[in-house]
Amino acid sequence: MRAEISTKNIRSEFVQRVEELSGQDLLACYQCGKCSAGCPIVEEMDIIPNQAIRLAQLGLEDEVLNSKTIWLCASCFMCFSRCPKGVDFSKIAEALRMIAMGTEIEHYGPQQVPWEIAAEAPQQALVSAFRKFSL
Amino acid sequence: MKLCYYPGCTLKDKTTNLDQTTIAAADELGIELVELPNWTCCGATYPLTEEKIANLVPQIRILYNVMVEGDNRVTTTCAFCYSTLKRANRAILNDPIKRKRINAYLKDDKRIPEYDKETVYNFKDYNGEVKVVHFLEVLRDDVGFENLSLKLKKNLEGLKVAPYYGCKLLRPPEEMEFDDPENPRIMEDFLESLGCEVIDYPFKTDCCGSYLSLSAPDAATRASHLILNSAVKNGADLVALTCPLCYYNLDRRQEDIGNRFMDFSPIPVLFFTQLLAIALGVEDEILGLDQHYIDPSPLLREKKLVT
Ligand code: SF4
Ligand code: SF4
Repeated sequence: MRAEISTKNIRSEFVQRVEELSGQDLLACYQCGKCSAGCPIVEEMDIIPNQAIRLAQLGLEDEVLNSKTIWLCASCFMCFSRCPKGVDFSKIAEALRMIAMGTEIEHYGPQQVPWEIAAEAPQQALVSAFRKFSL
Repeated sequence: MKLCYYPGCTLKDKTTNLDQTTIAAADELGIELVELPNWTCCGATYPLTEEKIANLVPQIRILYNVMVEGDNRVTTTCAFCYSTLKRANRAILNDPIKRKRINAYLKDDKRIPEYDKETVYNFKDYNGEVKVVHFLEVLRDDVGFENLSLKLKKNLEGLKVAPYYGCKLLRPPEEMEFDDPENPRIMEDFLESLGCEVIDYPFKTDCCGSYLSLSAPDAATRASHLILNSAVKNGADLVALTCPLCYYNLDRRQEDIGNRFMDFSPIPVLFFTQLLAIALGVEDEILGLDQHYIDPSPLLREKKLVT
């Protein structure tokens, strides 16, 4: 992947917005990878959690917003619970999802749930998925 | 003892076995669970961005109503309800801006004409007065596990049980303050008090895939397989848990797991309250054993625990 690293990107509005929404200091992350090591969904992700944080640190907006990873976080807080720097990636992922959705309102909504699944899935799964993947 | 009880949406529809065994088991222990009147959904997941303050209103509305009922504690068994209620309460306690804004929303609620006029004028700010406790904590702290083992009608001796915590009960540890996030004991101590043999295995605190079960089912299938397979390989007869979504992933998903992982052998998954109800001699009809995808009845019959 080719990416432009510049102070313009690093100090961009995007970076500020991620920090504001997530309440996390992106530069606190020193890329040890402990978050990714414990993540139960890491196998399905295209970039692993610490890489997503790195891209966000560098202000590489398109790269991180187009990753599958932000839609695959299950908010299980394993990464946060083990991070030596107290960085909560689940909050960063939620902030990135909000920015990615922009005005599009819905990434995963009721239309995407097959009828048989909707009939048998627990209510809390439906409510959670819509809360995480739509605005 | 009377205790205010918040069941949550899933317990009234998909997992009535969890609701009914909780109530029946509590009753056997002399605890009357009083369901919170007119409760609403807790919102399921705790909002993780600073701007989603409105998403904290459902939780606080519930806790406000508990306070209005004159209670200072509320108990629940669903790990999602427990987590989101507890975290929202913490936010109200520690964040003055959230406290002010959420109370403004709640006060607005009361202006809806259907509401009783009295409550409009008597609105009192909610400042985190109610304590949210998981039913496992009630068993540990109010009943006491030693005391519990004296009240058993059936000992579950010989039943090899793998406890499963999942994500929401334990994490984030600073907010949940439930148990040691890496080496929890509460489920183990509970199961031992029933006479079960506790099976230790490495994935008991890993996530089952949660709500990805809908949006990325293959990820949930793989994550659930890892947990179940580890429990089976370590010699468990069954898995015990508290959360209806974990239950859905670990029980219902065994169909997909079986199709994808050929060497997998199925294992029954039960709610901790079903085991408790069995041990306390609650009638078989209340256990709801017919609601499981992997039928636990043959195993429980073999152990002479149900008829
Ligand atoms: S564990 Fe924390 S410090 Fe380490 S890479 Fe992950 S977020 Fe960064
Ligand atoms: S919260 Fe998300 S990124 Fe973190 S460990 Fe869980 S699934 Fe992985």
